[in-house]
Amino acid sequence: MIGRIWAMAFNTAREAIRNKLLYTFLFFALAMMLFGTVLSALSYVERERMMQDFAFGSIRLFSVAIAVFVGVGLIHKEVERRTVYTILSKPLSRAEFLIGKYTGLVLIIWLQVAVMACFFAGVSLLLGAPLGLTHLAALALTAVELALVVALATLFSSFTTPLLASFFSCGIWLAGHLTRDLRDHGANSSSALVREATAWMHRVLPDLESFNLSLEAAHQLPIAASDIWFPALYGAGYVAVILASAVMIFERRDFR
Amino acid sequence: MSASAEIVRVDDLVKDVRPGFGLRKKRILDGISFRVREREIFGFIGPNGAGKTTTLKVLMGLIRATSGAASILGHDVSEITFRRQIGFLPEQPYFYDYLTGREILRFYAKLSGVSEEHRERRVAELLELVGLSASGKLRLRSYSKGMLQRIGVAQALVHDPQVVFLDEPMSGLDPVGRKEVRDIILRLRAEGKTVFMSTHILSDVEMVCDRVAIIVNGRIRYEGAIDEFLDAGEPEADLVFANLSADAATRLEDRFGAQMRGHGDRIEIRIAEKDSSAALRLALDAGAEVISATPHRVSLESIFLSKVNEADAEVGSR
Repeated sequence: MIGRIWAMAFNTAREAIRNKLLYTFLFFALAMMLFGTVLSALSYVERERMMQDFAFGSIRLFSVAIAVFVGVGLIHKEVERRTVYTILSKPLSRAEFLIGKYTGLVLIIWLQVAVMACFFAGVSLLLGAPLGLTHLAALALTAVELALVVALATLFSSFTTPLLASFFSCGIWLAGHLTRDLRDHGANSSSALVREATAWMHRVLPDLESFNLSLEAAHQLPIAASDIWFPALYGAGYVAVILASAVMIFERRDFR
Repeated sequence: MSASAEIVRVDDLVKDVRPGFGLRKKRILDGISFRVREREIFGFIGPNGAGKTTTLKVLMGLIRATSGAASILGHDVSEITFRRQIGFLPEQPYFYDYLTGREILRFYAKLSGVSEEHRERRVAELLELVGLSASGKLRLRSYSKGMLQRIGVAQALVHDPQVVFLDEPMSGLDPVGRKEVRDIILRLRAEGKTVFMSTHILSDVEMVCDRVAIIVNGRIRYEGAIDEFLDAGEPEADLVFANLSADAATRLEDRFGAQMRGHGDRIEIRIAEKDSSAALRLALDAGAEVISATPHRVSLESIFLSKVNEADAEVGSR
């Protein structure tokens, strides 16, 4: 089973690495980091913090863009081009196919995060900005968030068109970053319905702010081990649930 | 397994679909049943839209039947592990075009569980078999349609399966390519494998298939040995005469119900084979000259077309 999943993952990574979209977003991410560096140089105060804030934002934003826009075509393209016919006629289950595709794309996205992280570290060292384990933890949790976003894109890609899938994925990503604030604001509401609705939204939608340690990293604030492990476990659990749903949907599909 | 073991068994298979967002169901397969026996080349023939590809997709587990049962090598088609013993070439196959011929075969070999030690040898053998050894290092995007079809055949065979399913295997091939694929199919049978071939190219079926099933409008209209199929009905003979008088021609027509066609000064008649001696005597006595007398072989095409027409008439009368 592992061999078959790995064969699918390796091939997906090979396909993704040839995708021009990946390089376009990577280029813009690096350009934005440079722009942040120039912008921070104009500031009188907290130049390093500003540069690192900008860099973390760029890494997150452009990595999510890659995850969504490459991820939404992940399954849909295979069905549209009918490559799925020959692959699924082999002794490979639909679950292995889907998990293999997912794994391949996650590996490539993590690779490009590593490239951005190296660039970020290089610029920080050049400017004498502080670098520590908190920065590493922030990047690691960004990687977990990206794995979750790829899982969402894979889920939508398993049953709808890339356009709708990207719309849904971006929507959930945005909502996922707002659910914590929504819940807090909702808790202050006088309406019981609003309080319940916002609390449920926070429970059901992924709380993506729990993966955001960029503020702590940029300000060199202390973080506890649970600040890393808890979101990491939460993310892994969420990914498992999303992929299980994607497999269930994909298993029922007819390839007409 | 005995020589007549059933490799593919399809019983009362029904597939309904709802086109678009419509509520009305459309029946694509209407209770089809057939058997494919061990070591035979089975031709699954029918006009476009008859349900050939749908049947193959059900057998490959790509779509689920609405009702009925289908099994291959005794395994329900929804199972996975037995697929190690089957190979499939879809109609107009598409492959990852950023891979080379060698890479794509390696990929399919990995998915099929071909061990690493045998993989390279098997890939090289198959490239040789389909005549693509020299193009193995080229990316598939530079391949012609015929070359892609050959790679498709190679990927179906990469894990040395017991049963091979080919959907329109000659599609996109030139006459030389078609001959090569026919030879591969015959070679597979010689190696003891079973081949299921879906096609609408009847000459290929006549040349390679042992048994056929005709599907029209989602129903099986005939299933059996191709020889029985071609020999079905009363045997006929074609007689060609010169100098046949009008009177003799009329008598032949009246006595034997002969169908006549004139070619210059010659007349060709088709009559029941049992009447040929009497007809020849009559014509010779009337002073005609016999040019030729040959048994008439019914073409697969004419029988196929008659089955299609029967099916159309049936639909029209509903």
